[in-house]
Parts: sequence; structure tokens; C-alpha cells
Amino acid sequence: MLEVRNVFKTFNPATPNEVLALQGVDLTIERGTFVIVVGTNGSGKSTLLNAVAGSFFVDGGRITIAGHDVTRWPEHRRATLIGRVFQNPFSGTAPDMSIAENIALAARRGRRRGLAWALRGNFADEMRARVRGLGMRLEERLDNAIGSLSGGQRQALTLLMATWCKPELLLLDEHTAALDPKSADQIVRLSDEAIARDELTTLHRGRIIHDLAGAEKRRLRVDDLLARFEEVRRGEQLDESAAQLLRRAYV
Amino acid sequence: MTLLLGALTIGLILSLLALGVFISFRVFDFPDITTDGSITLGAAIAAVLLVKGVNPFVASAAGFCGGAVAGATTGVLHTKCKINGLLSGILVMTALYSINLHVMGKSNVPLLSAATFASDAERILTALKGGDTALHVLGWEVAARDAAVLVLVLATIVLAALALYAFLRTDLGTAMRATGDNPQMIRALGVDVGNMTIIGLALANGLIGLSGALLAQYQGFADVQMGIGMVVWGLASVIIGEALVGTTQLGLVITGAIMGSVLFRLLVAIALRAGLNPNDLKLMTATFVFAALILPGLVARARKGAGRA
Repeated sequence: MLEVRNVFKTFNPATPNEVLALQGVDLTIERGTFVIVVGTNGSGKSTLLNAVAGSFFVDGGRITIAGHDVTRWPEHRRATLIGRVFQNPFSGTAPDMSIAENIALAARRGRRRGLAWALRGNFADEMRARVRGLGMRLEERLDNAIGSLSGGQRQALTLLMATWCKPELLLLDEHTAALDPKSADQIVRLSDEAIARDELTTLHRGRIIHDLAGAEKRRLRVDDLLARFEEVRRGEQLDESAAQLLRRAYV
Repeated sequence: MTLLLGALTIGLILSLLALGVFISFRVFDFPDITTDGSITLGAAIAAVLLVKGVNPFVASAAGFCGGAVAGATTGVLHTKCKINGLLSGILVMTALYSINLHVMGKSNVPLLSAATFASDAERILTALKGGDTALHVLGWEVAARDAAVLVLVLATIVLAALALYAFLRTDLGTAMRATGDNPQMIRALGVDVGNMTIIGLALANGLIGLSGALLAQYQGFADVQMGIGMVVWGLASVIIGEALVGTTQLGLVITGAIMGSVLFRLLVAIALRAGLNPNDLKLMTATFVFAALILPGLVARARKGAGRA
């Protein structure tokens, strides 16, 4: 499904601010699996997610999604394959436009946009039904501007929009971090429902390992533990060869 | 009465300019200075074609296309060549000054003997009414020509506004609005923000070019200087319109921009009649926009201060 092969990315190369963000990253995610990337601040989780989403082009390596080599695809083209929820609840919706218009925009993700009405008549019922599924009573406020909603409500809608057309890959960028605990639980539940319903392949940027609880913990895989190991290695200046030894032994 | 009719007509013609400025400044949040050049370009193209005897409708459409090309150029400079938005507009506007002179061949093209939409409107009305050159509206006597022109301009503006409103509610139009509202989001939904900006600026400057084409026909000439300060004029109209309707609802905002343009032109006509020196007009317009931009902030701060005390 998602294949990241030997990907490199350096920010501000050959300057004092040089950051070696990704150095030979390999990652394979099978169809229908949920992978959480964990690591300390600055360990490159965001960079990895952005590299997959296409926010920038990588310096070397290859990224393949569902059989398409997307390494040189710009971000808007990759959006045909990727649904994305940002960390900031305000990033995923257009505040001055109505809930209905935002969803209509998402319903044409990656498709041609012509001169047909954005809010077609037959679309309203489906929209109301799926918005009702969020359990936030937003189906009564479809004509309200999204800017008038709370962060939790906007994030729920962003999630609904990201999964409106089934994406090949769903990117969740620590999407509950900016919410209060109650909204965060709600978003985690909605994410689980959407992922289970459509058997989505998901790459999730999580927090460091001891922050994981419940459902997220059950999904931990070797990759996550390796990231945890990476963290320890950085902390204790372990030899690079030890990391490779472990990688060979366990992956 | 003639003065009122004149102000109303020019206000309506310039409401196309206001709609263009609304698209670039409000929908895209893009400070597009191309306006000053594209309104003159629209006027210049239309004037030259009219002098050659081209149908006024075709000449006006050509003015729209000229403006659209100018706007698209600004868009390409900004999105593909990564030049600052304000500077892109300034570059195109500056280049357009020379281009406009080349199009016109001189600095002023009079349209006294050419057939324009104004003379067409007059002809249609005389054919309908049969010879009488004066009309009686609510007890006032108005020149038939003025009334006919006003009706034709009003019809054009209503059509243009409805078309714009409809367009902004299509798949393409909503994507365009979202591009200005939240580029990060719309990129993640598969829209090329650069192309969207180019199309949007083309549309905005097309409307502005059309406004210039109609203005040249109404006032009977195109002049290379006629665009100076027009972007501020359009902005003033948009700001007045927003104050009038006080909402962000699309249909009302578009209506507001048109009303703002007419109202602003009427205010200017009254001020000029009351003895304002025409040389001070641009200064007054700029001062007005300045005040409109900073007053809301000052009022909010004053309220906050009062609330604390």
C-alpha cells in the first residue's frame, strides 16, 4: 500500500541551520493496517508525514502509494490518494464557507471541478445522514459557516471530509493533540469507526510511547517500538551498528 | 436629475470594477494592483475596436478578454515565478501603461462619432418610442439617451452579478473561494492553488476590463490616465458595500459591492457639486479607504478600554 524506500530529506542544506530530517527511511504499510509513528520532538515524525503527503519533495528515495510512484507528484495530485487530518483543527476546513460547502469540496477530492453546482439537490440527503453520524447535531446547521464551530466539531468534520471519498491512505497528524480530552476521545472514536468501516490504511503521528493508551496501544507494531528504540539510542548515544543489528533481528 | 442619472450610471459601470476588486482582495486576499492598468486596457481595446466600426458588444467582450489576460499574467508572475503578489501587480500595471499607449496609438481616443452601447441604447429607445427625445419619470423630464443608457447598464450589471454569484457556487467557484479562505485545506483536497489563483485573477481583471470598456463608451473616450487610483476606488466601494450589508453571505456581499459603488459615486458627485476641488478627489478617496481600514480596529480598542474601566 504505502512504500517509503530509502528516503532522504535535509532542510537548509549547507547552512548553519542544516537539519538532517530523514536519513534513509524505509517504511512499508500493508493495506488495511494502522501504523503509529512515535518519537520525541524533532525526531522527524512530521517530516515523514509531510514527505508522504507531498508538502515538499524528498531529496532521495522513492514513495509509492497503491502502486503509484508519487515521488514527484505535487501535493494536490497526491490528494487523489490521500485523506488528511491536520493537528490544528483550523487547518482542515474553510472557515468562511458553510459546512455543506466544505463537505461538497471534500466530496470532489482529487476529481475534476467544473461548472456543476457544488451543492447538488441529490447530495443533501447523503450529507445530512453522514453528518448525523458524527452525533454532534451538526446536520441541523449545514448552512452555518464552519468558523462558528468549536475546534472539536471542526476536527470531526475534517475527519469526515478526509474519509468522505474512501482514501487509499489516511494521514492523521496527531489530530487530537490540540483538543480537550472529551473532544479528543470523541475524535478517536470517530476515527476508529471510519477506519473500521472502510478498512482504511492509516499512518498516524502519535505522541511518545508512554502517552499511548487504550485503542492506540493495541495497534502498536514493531515500527513503533523501533521508533521508541531510536529515541533511546539518541539519548544514550548508542552505536549505529547496534540499531542495525536489532533492526535485522526483529524486522 | 441629469447629474443623479449620470452618477448612477457611472456608479453601476464601476460596480464591475468593485466586483473585480472584491474577487482579488476579498475572495483571494490578494492585493491586486493590476486593476489600474487593466481597466485602462479594457477601455483602450474597446475604444480602438469601436473606432474601427466593430459592434459595441464585441468590443466590450474584447475589453473583458484583455483584462483577463492582464490578470492571468499577474497570476503567473506570482504563482509560477514566485514574485511577491503586490510586486507582480505593480510590474504588470507598469508594463500595461506602455501597452495601452501602443494599443491606442496615442494617449486619448475619442469616440464621438463611433457607434457605442450608449448610441445603440438610444437608437433602440427611439425606435420603441418613436422620435421623442425626452422621457417623463416621476414628474421629472430626463433625456431619453440617459435613461436608455442607464437601463442597459443596469441590465448588464444585474446579468454580470448573477453570473458571478452562480459561478462562485459551482464546483470550480467554491474551490476558488476555499483557495482564498484556507489554501492548506484545499491543497489537501486536490486543488492546484496556483492555477486557481491565476483563473481567479483573470476573472477579476476581466470584469475590471469590461468596466473600463463600458466606461469609455459612456464618457465617449479612452484615456491612458483613466486607470490611476482605480484600485482604491474599487476598494472603497467594496468596503462601503460590506458596511451596508454587514454579513459575509455571498449573494449579499456581491449586492453590497454594487450598492457601495453606486453610493460612493453619488457621494462623490454631491461633494463635487458642493464645491470639492476635483484635484482633491484621489486624496479624499485614499483618506476614506484609510479611515475605513483603521476605524474598526480603533473602535474595538476603545470599546475594550471602556469595558475595562
